[in-house]
Amino acid sequence: MDELLAQFLIESRELVDKAADDLLALEKAPGDRQRFEDAFRAFHTLKGGAGIVEFAAMQTALHCAEDALAAARSESRPVSSLDIGNCLSCLDQVAEWLDAIESTGAVPVDADPADIVALFAQAAGSEPIAVPRASNAEWIDGLLRAHPAVAPRAQTALRYTPAADSFFRQQDPVATIAGLPGLLALDLRQREAWPTLDELDPFACNLTIEALLAPDSATALAALGDEARHCEIETLRGRPHAADSDSLVRKAAELLDAQVHLLESAENTEQLGRIASAGLVATNVLRHVGRSAEADAVATAAAVAIAERRLQPLLEALAAAVQGPPPAEVAAVPAERRGAKQTVRVSAERIDVLVRLIGELVVSSNAMGHVTKLAEQWSSPLTGTLKNQHAALGRLVAELQRAVVGMRVLPLSAVFRRFPRLVREMSAELKKPATLVLEGEETEADKAIVETLVEPLVHVLRNALDHGVEDAAARVAAGKPPVATIRLRAYRQREHVVVEVTDDGAGIDIAKIKQIAHDRRLLPADELAALTDQESLNLIFLPGFSTAKTITHVSGRGVGMDAVRTAASRVGGHVDVRSALGKGTTVRVTLPFSVLVTQVMTVEAGGQLFGIPLDAVVETLRVDKDKIFPVGAAHAIVLHDRTIPLVRLAEMLADRADVRWDDTGPIVIAQLGGELGAVQVDRIGERIDVILKPLDGLLAGLPGLAGSTLLGDGSVLLVLDLAEFVR
Amino acid sequence: MTVRMIDQGVIELTGRCGADEAEVLQHQLLAAPGAVVEWTRCEHLHSAVIQVLLAAGRLMQGTPNTVFLADFIAPILTRSAVRQRTAQGLRAASQAAEEEQRDGL
Repeated sequence: MDELLAQFLIESRELVDKAADDLLALEKAPGDRQRFEDAFRAFHTLKGGAGIVEFAAMQTALHCAEDALAAARSESRPVSSLDIGNCLSCLDQVAEWLDAIESTGAVPVDADPADIVALFAQAAGSEPIAVPRASNAEWIDGLLRAHPAVAPRAQTALRYTPAADSFFRQQDPVATIAGLPGLLALDLRQREAWPTLDELDPFACNLTIEALLAPDSATALAALGDEARHCEIETLRGRPHAADSDSLVRKAAELLDAQVHLLESAENTEQLGRIASAGLVATNVLRHVGRSAEADAVATAAAVAIAERRLQPLLEALAAAVQGPPPAEVAAVPAERRGAKQTVRVSAERIDVLVRLIGELVVSSNAMGHVTKLAEQWSSPLTGTLKNQHAALGRLVAELQRAVVGMRVLPLSAVFRRFPRLVREMSAELKKPATLVLEGEETEADKAIVETLVEPLVHVLRNALDHGVEDAAARVAAGKPPVATIRLRAYRQREHVVVEVTDDGAGIDIAKIKQIAHDRRLLPADELAALTDQESLNLIFLPGFSTAKTITHVSGRGVGMDAVRTAASRVGGHVDVRSALGKGTTVRVTLPFSVLVTQVMTVEAGGQLFGIPLDAVVETLRVDKDKIFPVGAAHAIVLHDRTIPLVRLAEMLADRADVRWDDTGPIVIAQLGGELGAVQVDRIGERIDVILKPLDGLLAGLPGLAGSTLLGDGSVLLVLDLAEFVR
Repeated sequence: MTVRMIDQGVIELTGRCGADEAEVLQHQLLAAPGAVVEWTRCEHLHSAVIQVLLAAGRLMQGTPNTVFLADFIAPILTRSAVRQRTAQGLRAASQAAEEEQRDGL
């Protein structure tokens, strides 16, 4: 693919994500100007990119979205839910096109934006779409450049062009500006080139006054009073904060009020001048606070009033503006804008190569450990040196690992960001109003782990909404708020990343679960009856279990919680569920922070060497033979007053009955999905760091094996998934 | 009287100079083309007076007492004076060069 297109792909994908984020945030807080501007900018940049790679269809589609946003802006109304939906559809279409580019390496020639165009045209109805006015602000740039020292503090730039006869009218324009609060810089310019001194008319004002002010534009606007109509006032940095914006609206209202009073107290003779002046000031004020529709109305009314020589039309328009709805409430703007960090874009594949190499390096380091042991056995004089070097190598490799893991670390927000939208869509489809609350999305984990989370979380969220959350009527009847809350919470727990999905829905009905398990013959009746409540809950993880009465689009596609558990265990994680009937359900997915290195303990059983993931091991101990007692066909031991099921590894693995095993061998106590299990082995070996490779070929899908790894001496170590044994 | 000619070389602005003094200043500046403007005791300049000073491009002498005049107006007047002088100087220089060329031919 050509480099330009490759870059375009990367950037466009980021922008699509960004725009979707902003749109969803905007839907929650329609008045958030910052989000609005961010979204608008993202669409605009996307469109620009499409232009660069000459992708006309994408340009057209994005143009429609941009127009819809611009219309909302120029009408000073919050973006409608319909607009947001359409813009999201537009992003979907763009994402599809980007996929096409990625797979074909070229801009799709058959791309057709007609659907998107139709979508927006429908939404807009017959109304013409307004285009925002671009402000020509070269003078601001000049002013800022001329006063670099104060420019960073300036919030407002002002250009004041007093009327030519202002000196006659007892005005002192420079003094007016001097009196403004927070004056930072002042420039005086002549409107027309200075004549020679003898030709200068000292009573005609030829000045243009430019100034930088520290306070917000509302303060300046208020201080300028009537003269504001001769001023261009521009807000320089960012948007006003919520509080400022409030005061802006209040001050604007005061100014409007003042105009009404002026008009009402005016004598007939001076009416026309007053009408014109009040109309101008009011229009200026309204435009300034972003109520351009009302500004236009006032301007029209002023023109009508002047033509008809009566106040009424303007007074009515002003009254409407004064009482009119305040502009969209401005939600608190997230002030946090990360400082620019220096970054280098490296493709994920390159880092993956690095990760693989580190894996090999770990194996190689382990091999050196093996050599060191051999040297020790032969009492080689090199033993000491070898040992030292091996230890040093081990440290370096560990450091390198950490560094590389750090490179692959991603915040969970990379996956979480797609869920608000998913929930929004599912919620609409199922007609169950729900909001998704994200917590701890800044929690980080290895990229591979973060990516593993996507599928399971989609399932869990679907289940929560489809099966967990009741419809609004049922919720109200149960005394709950009609809108359900689904909480997606992530946090780091030592070497694990935990993600919890909690809903405040109906909870899981254990009796129903048992009934279904019985109906589907998932377990024999007597076993079902013996299950504790928690064990019954865990039935939902069994393959073939689905409680949906009807197959819906959202869930019930034959993938259920068993898929979630499989996905989690594939990377060494596990899933558990807790539920309170009528109160809600929490599904917790626990995954290792990184898939890079697994610590295993080697054990010997039946003459073979196996690995046990160390994170499962709670303790190792030896017990007397007579402390092991039979429970039915199985065995158990009592540890800390708890009965723990015991399996003999050799017995489990033996395919022949005559394999002998040591029934006094050490016992490994392991934590398996919230419960303890005991495994008796013949001998416990060493602890090693390994790169666990999923089993493939003949061994793929073999139960009880978590993966394999290469040992220092070149032999293959099979790593056990103990949960399978104790079950 | 807030605008007055001290001697042939200096025009002094004192106290508050209002709009109607713009014309007075204009006449005095025209009468004394080489005079500098002394404004140490000046407290306020009306926009119209500032405008005359800008058009005249005279150098100011001293530093007025008020922050606004000293910090905001003084640099503008100085810039304007320097710019006009440079422009005048350039014009004079190029005129001289042209004349030289003509003479040479």
